[in-house]
Formats: sequence, C-alpha cells, structure tokens
Amino acid sequence: MVIALLLVCVEISAQTGCGSVLVPKGKYQVGKKDSRQNPLRTVAVDSFRIAVYETTNREFAVFVAATGYVTDAEKRHNAMVFRPGLEEFRWIGDSTACWRWPNGISRGGIKDKMNHPVTSISYYDIRAYCAWAHVRLPTLEEWEIACRAGSKTDYFFGSEDSRIGEYANIWRGHDHMKADHSDGYMYTSPVGSFKPNPWGLYDMYGNVFEFCTGKLLPSESPTVAHARGGSWWCSKNSCHSFNSYSIGQVNVHASFSNQGFRVVKPQ
Amino acid sequence: MKPLAILLCFTLCLYACSSPNKKTVARRLKTDTTAKPHAADTVFSGDTNMTVPPYGLEKVQALIGKITSVEDTNSDGRTEALDEKTYALLSFREKFTYHMINQEAYSQNCDILPERTDEVHRIYGHLPDIFGEYEWSDRQLDFFKTNRDSVETLMKLLIVETNGVGDNFKEAIVEMNGKEMIPSLIDSYNKERKDHYILTVLMLLMKQNEYPEFMGSTSFKKLYDRPSDEYSAYLTYNKANEDLIIQRATNFYNGLSKK
Repeated sequence: MVIALLLVCVEISAQTGCGSVLVPKGKYQVGKKDSRQNPLRTVAVDSFRIAVYETTNREFAVFVAATGYVTDAEKRHNAMVFRPGLEEFRWIGDSTACWRWPNGISRGGIKDKMNHPVTSISYYDIRAYCAWAHVRLPTLEEWEIACRAGSKTDYFFGSEDSRIGEYANIWRGHDHMKADHSDGYMYTSPVGSFKPNPWGLYDMYGNVFEFCTGKLLPSESPTVAHARGGSWWCSKNSCHSFNSYSIGQVNVHASFSNQGFRVVKPQ
Repeated sequence: MKPLAILLCFTLCLYACSSPNKKTVARRLKTDTTAKPHAADTVFSGDTNMTVPPYGLEKVQALIGKITSVEDTNSDGRTEALDEKTYALLSFREKFTYHMINQEAYSQNCDILPERTDEVHRIYGHLPDIFGEYEWSDRQLDFFKTNRDSVETLMKLLIVETNGVGDNFKEAIVEMNGKEMIPSLIDSYNKERKDHYILTVLMLLMKQNEYPEFMGSTSFKKLYDRPSDEYSAYLTYNKANEDLIIQRATNFYNGLSKK
C-alpha cells in the first residue's frame, strides 16, 4: 500500500464551505477478511479530494435557496424518524419530517442546527445537490480509504471499539427504549465535534451514515444505494456499523434522519 | 421493482408455461445467485427462503406491479404500498398473500448488519435481515398482530404443504408473538434438522414471553444478556443445544396450554 502523503486543502468553497483532504493516487488495502460483502483486497484509485466535514444544513439550504429544489421527503411525506422508546431497528414514518424538520415538526427544526449534517434526505436528493455544487460522492472504496487513513484494523484507531466515543457521535445506550444524551447529543451533533481520524477527517464514524456511489454486485437493484460509517442511532449492541468495513444498503428514495453525506471535490 | 417481486414474476411465468391448468399452489422459493435476477439478498443474507401463499396470488401480483409513485418524476420510484381503497377491497387471504410477498416500508441503512457466516454450524440468536431495503410497515405489522389466530391457521397449512418454514413466515411469527406456532415449527424442523433459524424463532418466542426456564439459562445469557454485539451472537450447533432448545420450547408451549 502506498503511504499517503496528504495535502490538506484549507480553501473555502462557496458550495461546501469546508476544507478538504487530498488523497494521493495509489494502491490501498480495503475490506475485511472473510467478509462476503466487502472482502479483503487491494484496490488502485486515482487521487481524490474529500471533504473534511459532512455536508451541513447550512450548505444544503444554500442549494435549496438557489434552485428551489424539493426533496423526496417533502414530495412524498414518507421520511422515517426516530423517537426514544422504539424497539431495536424500528423507525416510524412522519409525514411532517424533511431536512428542515429532520425528526418531524414536533421534535424541532434546524434553526439552531445549521452546522449539523443535513439529514432526512434521500440518495436522489444528494445526487441533485452534487450536480448543482459540482462535486460528487465518494465511491465505496474511496470512502473506506479516506476513513482508514492508512490503517488496516477495523477502526482507524485500532482493533477494538473501546475508544469509539472519542471519535464518534453514536448511541451509547444498550437499547433505544430511553433517550441517550450521554455524549451530549441524542440526534446529530455539529460537524467536527469529535476527534478527527489521522488524516484530519471528522465524523467518519457516527453522526450520519454517509452515502457513497457504487454497487456490491453489477446485478444489484437500481433502487439500492449504499452508505457507510454508522450514525448517531448506531449502538455497540445493535448495528455496530461505525467501523471501516461495513457497508449498508437503503432505498434510493428513502429519507432517514440518520443518513447524510460528505462530498468529493474537483481537484 | 424489488428483487423478490422480479423473482416471483419470473417464477410465475415459468409456472404458467409449464402448467396447462395454471393452478396456483403454495410454494417456497429458495433464492440463490443462479435463480435470482438481483442477488442483493444473497449477498447480504445468504440464501433466503420465502413462502409464497397461493391465495389470490396472481391478482395480488398484478396489483403490486401497478404500484407506482404519483409524485415521483424519476421513473424507478415507487410508493411501495397499495392505497387504502385498493387494500380494503382485498379479502383476508389476499391481504395475507400481499403482506407475505411485499414489504411497504423502507428499512434503514444498517438493518442488514451484521453479516451472517457459517450458519450450518451456528444457531444465531436473531433472524437475519431478509427484506433488504424494505421492511413491513406499521399497517402490515398490525395485520399480523390483530389477526394472529387466522394468520397462524394459514401458516400452519402452508408449512405442511410447502414442507418448510419460509424466512418471511419466521419473521412474521416473531413479530406477532406467534407462540401457538411452536408445535408446527418443531415438526417442520424435525423433518430435516437443517434450518437452524427455526430454533432461533423458538428462542425468540421464549424470550419475548420471558419464559423463566429460558431466561435463567446459559443460552439466554450468551445470546441476549450481553453488553454488545447481540445481533452477532450465536450458539454452536450441536445435538445437545438443538435438543435443549426444542425441549425448552416444548415445555414452554405445554405450559401455555395449561393456563
């Protein structure tokens, strides 16, 4: 594997409003031994410049103001939201929920959360944002390379998850029956609230699942998109996808309050 | 269109061609990489078996095929659910078929985790994800729970007829706390003793109902009373564990009938 020499870009972009990290062209190890969905392998990628932070509500608001874009959740009124007291993996539909009201109007809006990652948007919505902002999503492999930051372990900080709380906004409760504010946030946190990975990328684990492009199989349904890195909802007990290898799947039109994205910028 | 629906259409076509009478029968579909046009379920969950009820199957299939998104401007979008009026016009048995072959709600991104491996030698504590990007909606779960007796009657018939318990049936049995299904589950398991997820269902039913003999067991502690990774937890498959689960489930069920 190439030892990456990283050039941290500190420019401020009108579309993204944050810095980015240049990942050099090279060969990198990705995947996990014995995994069917993400087997251990070496991949070759061109250089790419990935955002330091997840895309925020403020950035998405600029896009909506400029284009008048209406999201899937606003059109379909089918966003899925979370409230404490639900059984594991259970979410509820809320016709009032959308990116402005990520868990429904009754649970508050984003007025004081403009620096939080945008959520309750679908993969289709994100594609529209990227086209407007002249950016793109990372591929599944680019995301993992950036997340791993040269590491070969399950976490960029080691083999065990005991230090996950330093790096990620996750759910610390054993189940989801009671609210968990133990790390300061039940839902999303402002981007960059936790320690970055060794390459200076924040929230690679937790906060929101980050959509990527790419398929696990060429024959995969076109209605499936993939997101990675775990979210504020994910706990050690059920989900545990705040790691460098797991790959989730969700419908391209589904809007959940724990899914968002970070972008890859033009070089 | 969902992979399962595509597979069902494909199977229906084959069946229609091969059967001059076009008689509809219950069947258990085993999805695998060779038979399934979209192999996402295979990737995430290994092979899955779905029991396809015969009740109004062609009618229900046609209705599912017509589900489209009114507001969506992207051609591959769908609303996933029959509208209330169409749904209300279905008979009970047709609704049963509809729910068993179509899931109305989106599932969240991490539902597929964790990956299951070496299932032949393991008895997992939880069922695998089988519906991919979808899951049953509240309306569908309410149907199972509200009509549990009637649903169980149909399930028992189809388990005998198809000689197995589909993964969708297992999921529904757990969702509706179908403890009355225990004898049927055990009978079906004993025919081949290969589908270890039937044992998983038995344990989940004992857990749901807080059956003391199971709640105090080493198996329960290993599978469900743990600080992390509950959904990865499993027992080693061996005859002793197999017999113990069946015996406990039998005791649990016999206790129910005495109440």
